[in-house]
Amino acid sequence: MPNEQDLIQRLLKGEQAAYRELVQQYQGAMRAVAIAIVGTASADEVVQDSWLAVVRNLKGFAGRASLKTWLLTITANTAKSRLRKQRREVLLDDITGPHGTIDDARFAADGHWAQAPSLWHTDSPEALLNEQALRDCLEHTLATLSELQRSVLMLRERQALELPDICNLLDISHSNVRVLLHRARLSVFATLEHFEETGEC
Amino acid sequence: MLKCKDLVALSSDLLDGELTLKQRIAVRMHLAMCVHCRRFIRQLRVSQRVIRQLPDQQAPELETLLRAMQAQQQRASEPDQSDSSK
Repeated sequence: MPNEQDLIQRLLKGEQAAYRELVQQYQGAMRAVAIAIVGTASADEVVQDSWLAVVRNLKGFAGRASLKTWLLTITANTAKSRLRKQRREVLLDDITGPHGTIDDARFAADGHWAQAPSLWHTDSPEALLNEQALRDCLEHTLATLSELQRSVLMLRERQALELPDICNLLDISHSNVRVLLHRARLSVFATLEHFEETGEC
Repeated sequence: MLKCKDLVALSSDLLDGELTLKQRIAVRMHLAMCVHCRRFIRQLRVSQRVIRQLPDQQAPELETLLRAMQAQQQRASEPDQSDSSK
């Protein structure tokens, strides 16, 4: 990518504006990776250490991978070395958000909807997000998901990573990523549905 | 025949393009007939876009981080003095 090359050249020259740009662009993705591996409490420290490692190793960045992949790999490695094998086995946790999920209770015995999804007042994300109360409510839902669920959701939806990249970064299987993503999405859906129905969180 | 419950179970894979051909056909046939599931998938896509557009939480202490990076960068560009001091 030409823009990426340009950014790297500016970074190598030590341009502070380039560093600011880099951090603003990739901090969110790095944080999601760190949270997934070490949890929220240590994530900021891991991200900071990762940035320092990025600065130290920038000259060695050969451009074989994309800049984003390189940054996220450094973050994952930094996080994993902090973890020291005490890997949390919470992969297939079934934590759901505060408004539940779309589970068996919504279906009749024959597998058809018993309680069909209600119609939302708009299909426009912008219109939905106009309401501060809903934004807060979604933040609350995200905060109650497991760290791994939340991170997988963020990496997929906000950072647009492909599923195999998420598997590699977080050392989880493809099927686990799919399960985590599905559960997280249904929790978010349930929150939106609940808010649309009741007008409150 | 795919049931509504099965369709919901496949919905995330549908969004990510992870369905097999056989599943894709079954999903398409079900959606052609089921208004509730069409609504579910449409609104699931809306909630996906909502998450994409949800404003970012404030990044922690950007300025402090940038200062630390600058200091690291200066250290990296200075000649290593650890050997010469021996």
